[in-house]
Amino acid sequence: MYRVASVVAALVASCFLLFLAAPVFALVAAAGVRGVAKLGSDVELRDALLLTALTATTATVLGVAGGTPIAYFIARRAFRGRAIIAALLDLPLLIPHPVAGIALLLALGRQSAIGGALLATGFRIAGSRTGIVCAMLFVSAPLFLSAAREAFARVDPRYEAVARTLGDPAWRAFRRITLPLATRGLVAAAVVMWARAVSEFGAIVILTYNPKVASVLSYDRFTSYGLPEALPVAAVLVVLALVPLTALRALRYERGIGTM
Amino acid sequence: MIETRGLSARVGSFTLREITLTVPAGAYGVVIGPAGSGKTTLLEAIGGILPVSAGAVRLGGRDVTRLPPEERGVGLVYQHGYLFPHLTVAHNVAYGTTDAAGAREIATRLGAADLWAREVRSLSGGERQLVALARALARHPSVLLLDEPFNALDPRRRSRVRREVRAIHRERGLTVLQVTHDFTEAGLLGDIAVLLDAGRVLQVGAPDEVFRKPASPYIAEFLGAENVFAGTVGLARGPVEDDDRRGAASGSGYRALEFHVAASPLTFVAVGDADPGPGYAVLRAEEVVLSREPGSSSARNTFRGQVQDLATLGALTRVTVDVSGLPLVAALTTSSARELSLAPGVEVYASFKAMAIHLC
Repeated sequence: MYRVASVVAALVASCFLLFLAAPVFALVAAAGVRGVAKLGSDVELRDALLLTALTATTATVLGVAGGTPIAYFIARRAFRGRAIIAALLDLPLLIPHPVAGIALLLALGRQSAIGGALLATGFRIAGSRTGIVCAMLFVSAPLFLSAAREAFARVDPRYEAVARTLGDPAWRAFRRITLPLATRGLVAAAVVMWARAVSEFGAIVILTYNPKVASVLSYDRFTSYGLPEALPVAAVLVVLALVPLTALRALRYERGIGTM
Repeated sequence: MIETRGLSARVGSFTLREITLTVPAGAYGVVIGPAGSGKTTLLEAIGGILPVSAGAVRLGGRDVTRLPPEERGVGLVYQHGYLFPHLTVAHNVAYGTTDAAGAREIATRLGAADLWAREVRSLSGGERQLVALARALARHPSVLLLDEPFNALDPRRRSRVRREVRAIHRERGLTVLQVTHDFTEAGLLGDIAVLLDAGRVLQVGAPDEVFRKPASPYIAEFLGAENVFAGTVGLARGPVEDDDRRGAASGSGYRALEFHVAASPLTFVAVGDADPGPGYAVLRAEEVVLSREPGSSSARNTFRGQVQDLATLGALTRVTVDVSGLPLVAALTTSSARELSLAPGVEVYASFKAMAIHLC
């Protein structure tokens, strides 16, 4: 009985894996080599990838800087309304990304108070690299917040309590104890955020069509020239996405701090 | 000195309520109580880890109620050590001090010198406790809060470390408050015992006093008194033996009493300051003497009964004697039980002195 169950489970798992892997393999097999080869000659593709990496990294740095204190606060402090705040921070994950783009356009576009004021000082959000960063930040920061919150929650507050009795003020105890113990979780959270930012399309295309990030370029080539031109761009994105994901898995499986 | 006045603190749904206690400067206090009674919460409230919702904490005569932990001068050792896992043992011990040599010295004294270069991950539970103790002591706190700090140590090492901590406490004039489940440890270490249950202090006093004169039958049972009987306290009608009178004279206001056991026709002769009326009699098993013949001792209470059950644990045997339907537990050495040829059904005489009965 157990043997039959094991065989059935293995079959189901194999089908599931195949379902997840087949499209990716098909894409890479169809245009992976061509896409990588195009990197040398296709300046627009190279610029789009560079822009994607730059804006995603900027968004991630901003997300980590702004999100870490919030994640720590929510993980550590019990206060009324904590559940509501946590839910509000998760909300962007549920909003369809084009809708998120529209919301951002309403809040930061040239017709909005903020966007108009900034434009008056010569600082444009919509249709600029800043707009791309804003769109990436909005849709991917909740992933960082959620994972960072978990990372802090996994560090027993008593470590910090002991550090306080050993003379550390709250900030120093955080820096010397909690932060190092949560580092692996925070790095993993940042990698997930970065990967999500890289793959973002819906919000970016509404807020900033040009300059083009890789996802927008892939869409642009598909609508302008058809599948053969879009495939290499998409394949290169998939290949490059493997880098942060492999790094993430390596962090997860490596035996290290934060598992005590 | 550790002093709390009406101290209340809340953790989730648990509340520590109006704790008032004093551990004099340089004294060693022990907190005893069942699991979930609030022992660790009490230490955390004193240490400033938990915010206090009412009342005050004074350490060394200074009101520290609103001070953060780092300004209270306390050392805190949790049951599981909470060593910083990303640091070595050496860095853990020296964490709160700039005196690296002093840190090394205290670790050596506690028997943790061999662990100096080890990673925390590789330590056993007992070793972690040693390092945690060394870490807290290396900072030279004036108040030390210990949460079952010896329970993961093997028995041999436990008694050595216990002695060492007691010696350091005396040398430095430290004020200590230690949580323990171990009644022997409480008796060995404590100058003052605090009995806690459901977030409240049930009794405070010298450990011997708390063990011998528990304030309620619940405390008596919690502290391991095997014989706790409900009944009625009355004034003694007959004379009390001289031996018992001498014992009674050591306390003030003690008088000869009788205790009528509710569940049997038995009446115990007792000495104490309890008021007549419903109450409880507490008798520790070690106070009950068994013999095969009625003895000629001064003990005022002698009852004939039948051995019901024997439980031997190494050199100690606990014998349950059925005395007119009342199960009376006696503790005696296994060799004595063998000499008396005790076995279920054997007829014996159980005796105990009037002073051995505590009425509450």
